[in-house]
Amino acid sequence: MNHSIKLFFVALSLIFALTAKAEEVNSIEVEVNGLVCAFCAQGITSAFAKEPQTQEVLVSLEHRLVAIELKPGTDMSDDRVTEVLVDAGYDVVGMKRTQRSVAMIRETMDTNTSSHHHE
Amino acid sequence: MKQWLLGLPSGAACLLTLIMLSISAPVSARPVTYTGGQVLVADVHPDSMAWRYGYSGSFRWSASVGGLYVDDFQGQETLDINYIRGARLLKRWNWPKAQANVFVWGGVGHARTASKSDISGHAGFQADFETRRIYTSVVSEHYEGPSWRYRTDTVALGFAPYEHDFDKTALWLVVKGMRATHSKDDDPKSALMLRLFNPKWWLEVGVHDNGDLLGNVMFNF
Repeated sequence: MNHSIKLFFVALSLIFALTAKAEEVNSIEVEVNGLVCAFCAQGITSAFAKEPQTQEVLVSLEHRLVAIELKPGTDMSDDRVTEVLVDAGYDVVGMKRTQRSVAMIRETMDTNTSSHHHE
Repeated sequence: MKQWLLGLPSGAACLLTLIMLSISAPVSARPVTYTGGQVLVADVHPDSMAWRYGYSGSFRWSASVGGLYVDDFQGQETLDINYIRGARLLKRWNWPKAQANVFVWGGVGHARTASKSDISGHAGFQADFETRRIYTSVVSEHYEGPSWRYRTDTVALGFAPYEHDFDKTALWLVVKGMRATHSKDDDPKSALMLRLFNPKWWLEVGVHDNGDLLGNVMFNF
């Protein structure tokens, strides 16, 4: 009986772990040179919207940042990200992969901007 | 332009004037945007009006169709040109907080004056430098037919009172110096423009030093 209970909890833990893994957010945050004009940078959101892996895109002129949140279970190579941004007319300076959603990134930027303005 | 407006019913003329004034300055629009980008531009000056639809195959080149109407051309005629053209980004510099570009373009068209129709050619050049607070540009366009020439030169210096971000509407104050050679009035003029834009649209309205209104509008899609 004890053995069955142990097995049940092990199975339950595995299910939770797998579920948590599936819900993990994957984003690519890219530092970009040349981001100065919203009218001109519109091509970035249009271009990433055409990529099937894209869940959401964030462009911040202030932080020189383009963030792409990927759909669960998908990936986009660094080369493809760079290609899209270069085709839009910009230069990639740096790139990192994070587990922050676009909403979280936006919230962090808003908080930083707000605290910066209050200093 | 004023003459053909007078030929319209007063209500339509007023509406059209308002639309034209609420839109105004393709000379400050970039001739090439981004891969797959389309832009519709309308530009109104006291003695000329222009429109252009452009498609960018990449951030390096675009193809456009457009038109230019000049009132009182060379003192007595009007000039009406419809054209196709290709534009190319010659060089772009991307810096952390600035961008600069050099564009060239050229095309052919059909030009009509009061006395005849001609095949016309045109060529242009634009250099610009921009940060989130400062904008400068130099634009020169030259149109030519077998028996006429028309050229415009524009320099612009803009200042943004605040730094806009991608999802906010930008506000700029732009001072322009411009000259249209071989038109009714060759004298250089200055203009003060108010520029508003966001990722989807761009609007400039302003006034010349002599009180004449001008403006331009663009849509990104």
